[in-house]
Amino acid sequence: MNGQQPVNIVMIEDDEGHARLIEKNIRRAGISNAIRHFVDGTSALKYLYEDESGPALNGPALILLDLNLPDMSGTDILAKIKSEGALKRTPVVVLTTTDYKIEIQRCYDLGCNVYITKPVNYESFAEAIKQLGLFLSVIQVPDIETD
Amino acid sequence: MKAPTLFSLNKDKHFGQIVIAFVSLGFLAIFAAGLASALAVQRNREHTIWLVHTYEVERGISRVDAAVQGMRFARRGYLLDRRHGLRVEYAQARGDLAKAIGQVDALTRDNQRQQALIPQLKWLSGQLDTRLLFTMAQADAGHITGVGQRSGDAGSANFGQRIRQVTARMFAEEQRLLGERLVAQQTSIHLFFWALAIGGVLLVLVAIGSVATIRRYTFNLMQSRDELRLLNEDLEGAVRVRTIDLQRANDEIQRFAYIVSHDLRSPLVNVMGFTSELDAAATPLRTLIDRAEVEAPGLVTEEARVAAREDLPEAIGFIRTSTQKMDRLINAILRLSREGRRTITPEALDMAAMFQGVADTLRHRTDEVGAIVTIAEDLPHLVSDRVAVEQIASNLVENAVKYLQPGRPGLVEVTGRRQGVRVLYQIKDNGRGIDPKDHERVFDLFRRSGVQDQPGEGIGLAHVRALAYRLGGTITLSSRLGEGAVFEVNLPAIFAGTGEKDA
Repeated sequence: MNGQQPVNIVMIEDDEGHARLIEKNIRRAGISNAIRHFVDGTSALKYLYEDESGPALNGPALILLDLNLPDMSGTDILAKIKSEGALKRTPVVVLTTTDYKIEIQRCYDLGCNVYITKPVNYESFAEAIKQLGLFLSVIQVPDIETD
Repeated sequence: MKAPTLFSLNKDKHFGQIVIAFVSLGFLAIFAAGLASALAVQRNREHTIWLVHTYEVERGISRVDAAVQGMRFARRGYLLDRRHGLRVEYAQARGDLAKAIGQVDALTRDNQRQQALIPQLKWLSGQLDTRLLFTMAQADAGHITGVGQRSGDAGSANFGQRIRQVTARMFAEEQRLLGERLVAQQTSIHLFFWALAIGGVLLVLVAIGSVATIRRYTFNLMQSRDELRLLNEDLEGAVRVRTIDLQRANDEIQRFAYIVSHDLRSPLVNVMGFTSELDAAATPLRTLIDRAEVEAPGLVTEEARVAAREDLPEAIGFIRTSTQKMDRLINAILRLSREGRRTITPEALDMAAMFQGVADTLRHRTDEVGAIVTIAEDLPHLVSDRVAVEQIASNLVENAVKYLQPGRPGLVEVTGRRQGVRVLYQIKDNGRGIDPKDHERVFDLFRRSGVQDQPGEGIGLAHVRALAYRLGGTITLSSRLGEGAVFEVNLPAIFAGTGEKDA
């Protein structure tokens, strides 16, 4: 993804099973970047903005975001990332079960870069994640500007 | 509402009877009073005539007396000084007497007693006249002197007295009649006043009664009007509250359905995902068993072989089909909840064209089973939501084609008619029919009826009914097992909104 610095993938997903399946399929697509997994919004935000190895303080990242989290709505995290500070240009891929039209529109309005609905059918699901992996392997991620 | 209406109707009837009775009574009283008055006036007039008559008779009698007096005075005067003028006067008085007697005679023709006295009166006056004339003639001849005068005079005086007696009797008779007639007149006047008074009192009573009844009725009427208005306002309020409650409940259900179906999907993704992983993991295991069987048969137990080749694929297969079914059910709930949230956009719909379109999409299937779908050309048009109506139409026609009676070529008829502000569409088939005890059940979600030989989840009719309700309509079913089914959709001809906010 990025020549100079490895891009970390931050996955915010409350369902362990989903997280595991996503990781498996991304790996199958040949992506070997580090994947940090968080099951709730609070710890994820803490890592994103405050952790020394987190993207705000250290290097570029790509965020995989589920909208249904136990402690806060994924759209709130999306709004926070896209509205202020160091992470506003960080690509966010919303990966969720919701395929409600209004929800999709809202996410793009808030600045999400890609919105993917998790297919229930596992073959489609695996296929979608693999394609996402291929996509991730070619996209350019901007460096974090510390301003 | 029924009991008060009946009650007031009864009251109305009662009131009408009372008013009519009062008015009739009033008119009767007026009529009776008028009749009594007319009768009294008539009788009074008769009495007055008779009174005048009596007075005339009395005057006649007085004239008789006066004439007799006149005759006697004229004769006495003549005897004293023999003036010719007194003879003339005498003749005049005599004429007056005859006239007066004639008058009295004429006037008292109705009175037997007076008539009986008339001849006597005539005779006496004749006798008197003869005596008087005789004495006057004697005086002319010089026979009579002072004494002779007296003797002749005595006879005439006698007759004069007798005449006066007769006239006095007649007078008395007339006085008696006068008294009688006066009393009769008084009585009739009293009667007249009584009639008037009773009539008046009756009128006043009727007036008071009528006014009181009308006032009470008006008061009742106003009271019930006020009550009705209050009830009406209350009803509108109640309906508004109920509608809001219903809307809230509906919104709640929609949200619930959405959340449930949505949250159920997440674990399902895992189940299906890891089943696939399991399946994938089983493949190298099977290969291992295959290889071991060839290379080291002693290592492969019967148990391991059955587990890898039969149990594992079977278990995975069941998990797969079950999760797939669960997925379909969840999707159905999701679709229903989404339908409920969808904004209704009414537009003019050509229903014949729509049903024809539905029939065309089912063409390959109908051709396959040899079924015929006929659509009436005069299907009434509709202003409603295209997507919803189309789903209702396609679900019903599809069902009709789907559940045929084996051995009977399918025949589906679509007809419709307008009924006031609503339209009715009938989808009639000759298929296998639905047992009456299942008529309500088939509209429930995930419920089906009859032989389960057709694919389906039991969603279609639940969906159709939800849509019909959403469009302000209803759907009914009449059918007997083995005799086909008739689904009747009743929709408002022009969708006017269900009052819900689509914001």
